[in-house]
Amino acid sequence: MTLLELEDVTASYGPVQVLEGVSLSVPENGAFGILGANGAGKTTTLRAISATVRTGGRITFDGKDIRGLRPDQVAALGIAHVPEGRGTFGDLSVRENLRVGAYLRNDRKGIDEDIDYCLDLFPNLQERIGSNASALSGGEQQMLAVARAIMSKPRLLLLDEASLGLAPSTAKNVYDAIRRLRSESGIAMLVVEQNANLAFTLVDGATVLETGRNVLTGTTAELKGMDEIRRAYLGG
Amino acid sequence: MASASSLSTSSRSAAAPAAAAPSFRQRRWVRMAAPLVLALVLAVLPLVLPEFANETIARIGVFAVAVLGLNVVMGYTGQVSLGQIFFLGVGAYVTAYGVQNDWNIVLVFVLACLIPAVAGLIVALAAARLGGLAIAMVTVALPIVGVPLAKRLSEFTGGSQGLSARFADNPEWTGLYDDQWQLYIVLVIGGIVFLLTRYLVRGKYGRAFAIVKGNENVASSMGISPYRYKVLAFTIASLIGGVSGFLYMLVVQYTSPETMSFGHSIELLAAMVIGGAGSIVGSILGGAWYVLVPQLTNAVDASLTALLQGAVLLLVLFVLPGGLASLPRALTRGRRRSGADRGVGAPPTTPSSTAGSGTAAEGSERERQGPA
Amino acid sequence: MGTFIQLVIDGLSTGSVYAALALAIVLVHSATGLINFAQGGMAVLAAYFAWYLTNQGVPLIVAILLSIVFSFALGAVVERWLMRRFERGDPDTAVVVTIGLLTLITGIAGWLWTYNNQQFPSLFPLDTVSFLGVSVSIRSIGTTVVIVVAMVLLQALFVGTKLGLALRAVAINPQSAAFSGLPVGRLLMVGWGLAAVLGAVAGALVAPQLTLTPGMLDNALVYALAAVILGGLTSPVGVVVAAWIIGILENLAAVYVPFIGHDLKIAVPFILLFVVLIVRPQGLFGRKTVVRV
Repeated sequence: MTLLELEDVTASYGPVQVLEGVSLSVPENGAFGILGANGAGKTTTLRAISATVRTGGRITFDGKDIRGLRPDQVAALGIAHVPEGRGTFGDLSVRENLRVGAYLRNDRKGIDEDIDYCLDLFPNLQERIGSNASALSGGEQQMLAVARAIMSKPRLLLLDEASLGLAPSTAKNVYDAIRRLRSESGIAMLVVEQNANLAFTLVDGATVLETGRNVLTGTTAELKGMDEIRRAYLGG
Repeated sequence: MASASSLSTSSRSAAAPAAAAPSFRQRRWVRMAAPLVLALVLAVLPLVLPEFANETIARIGVFAVAVLGLNVVMGYTGQVSLGQIFFLGVGAYVTAYGVQNDWNIVLVFVLACLIPAVAGLIVALAAARLGGLAIAMVTVALPIVGVPLAKRLSEFTGGSQGLSARFADNPEWTGLYDDQWQLYIVLVIGGIVFLLTRYLVRGKYGRAFAIVKGNENVASSMGISPYRYKVLAFTIASLIGGVSGFLYMLVVQYTSPETMSFGHSIELLAAMVIGGAGSIVGSILGGAWYVLVPQLTNAVDASLTALLQGAVLLLVLFVLPGGLASLPRALTRGRRRSGADRGVGAPPTTPSSTAGSGTAAEGSERERQGPA
Repeated sequence: MGTFIQLVIDGLSTGSVYAALALAIVLVHSATGLINFAQGGMAVLAAYFAWYLTNQGVPLIVAILLSIVFSFALGAVVERWLMRRFERGDPDTAVVVTIGLLTLITGIAGWLWTYNNQQFPSLFPLDTVSFLGVSVSIRSIGTTVVIVVAMVLLQALFVGTKLGLALRAVAINPQSAAFSGLPVGRLLMVGWGLAAVLGAVAGALVAPQLTLTPGMLDNALVYALAAVILGGLTSPVGVVVAAWIIGILENLAAVYVPFIGHDLKIAVPFILLFVVLIVRPQGLFGRKTVVRV
């Protein structure tokens, strides 16, 4: 059962067209990756879904066309975007960040339970619960960004470069937690990642973008077997 | 500025196939002769116009110079100043005081330029330190402090009564009427200020101003100190304000604290934006707006003036950010848009929607096109 | 000594009016990144609205409450239909827009109600009370207390409610806020509305003293801007303290410094500002890093 589907999506910033035609689909409970070089349009694809860039083509979520909605309306449908650069609220405490993430919910008890779940998922945040987000380390901020996103109980998580700027061991910790989240919650995921090795530990399939188009799509196993993927993204 | 240059080139290429020859304005002899014709017209006009028209044109000249000064700091350097009228007032007071004490008129003129310039320098040295909007927030105080200050310093300013001074009476040998003579002086001094300013903003300093306006970080990275150029622009604006104060005294022959009121300061800013920010022609149009519009609205209903000024200012900001000076260009663009070749020569719209994200790229873009 | 204490308390009262306006400016700046030069003008319009209602026989307190509702709507409408396209663009253009708005509002008030001074009824009796041998005006105490209560309520809203949390989140990072489902546009309208309410409270309290004219708060705006610079744009507490210092100092200077007197006391915050700018360019309480880049 397909949850999210992009058909021939284009996107532009002012006069500059960044996406020339991207198609992909994420099944319910599935995890799908987007690979590609810098400037290939990975981040823009996520922004197209969360309505922060002007788009063409067709984007459907749960069978409904979601183009033309505002970003907060997209979020209200159950799509949570963890943006590049994390996008935490620097002057708010960790707990407040999580509460902002739960803005659309009114079940007090459920929110408290989910905060506890997030702290269990990312134990580092437990001790920083009262600190301002801006005081956290890069890894902790990334964890907070993911935690904030899942506080809205999304059906689909858009994850942008969760490993960017992190030490390899920290990046692995973050991905371990996200894998655990996936297995426990069944939230579908669309994952942009430079580090294909890391991405392949999480996703079932992926597409490779080049200058705003898909050039290759396959399952994780298929892609891992291809020479050009190995050369370009897996370091030999 | 970037879109302006690309516009003019694309309109030229669009016109080329139709006319098959350089358009009227591009012809060499036209470009050479136009300033001469303009000078000739300005030389003859005062002789043939009625007294009222001459006086009105002289007043327009006075405020065109004041708007030009504001344009140096605001239009070209991008620093909002709400205090320009203060420097006009200081220039007018210095002139009146000097004339009343029978000082040499050249000395009076020099002081009427220098004293406002020094005052402006001191204000700018402090305000520009804060960066951002601080210049706007500090300069708003100038007219508001200036009015009671002028009332207080009554031995120099005549207090609330103000000062009258008549000078530059028409010398016998000219055979001119007073209004004609005054208009000539305004045209000559104003003309020189306009030419010098045009030279300034198109030269090295103008390029630096434009870069500071575009992106202060880019300016710093190019070795252009935003602080220093902001102070410089503000000082020059104050000096030009002083010149306009001298001319104001010449034409109006009376000044009082009311001259530099907060309301007038805002009207001057409105006139600059409506005329056209960062435009020489716009400064003249701004001066005309400042003088003519209150005359027109007073004829209908004086209490409507502020309402109209505010409404037009907002309207201009929404639909014509380049002010009246950009109207011809906006019209040709509109015509081309509605034409069949839609999209071919469409000017790149300024990517303001992507502001936050792409500032670095935008900055370097400006860096290349800015000095055009 | 008696005069001194009286002057301090009166200064605290006018300082509170500046503080309310300054806080409104800070609120708008943190939400939308621009300085609203029409903040005082909007408050004047609200005061005229209340004055108009009292002339129609509406009790003063009801008229003021209605003008507060009116202000909230005015702030929200201005944000949505006037300022939104200039937010997060060039801040200097946005400033000019707010100046256009100030001119327009002044023009509307002058056109509807003339530029003549109108008497605005006072919420407090004009008596004085004796307190430890010093007579203090009830109006000064009342003004200070009402504005402090308004500021405390606002603080409680920001810290203790979900709406307040959402407003803070939008101010810090509008994009992430939208990704969490916060209706950013509507929250910005609320932010502007709250700022306008704060201004309206200050306007209604100071109008009896200044008498109502379209330019009634032009001077107060200048004081408020000075307080904003002195206190630092990011520090609400700093701004309020700076406004009080300004209010008290100018009152003392007017009486004890002969050259300044009552007519030139508006120069006081700027002399102070000059000194502070040279010693501490980031303002009394602001953080160094937040000057716009």
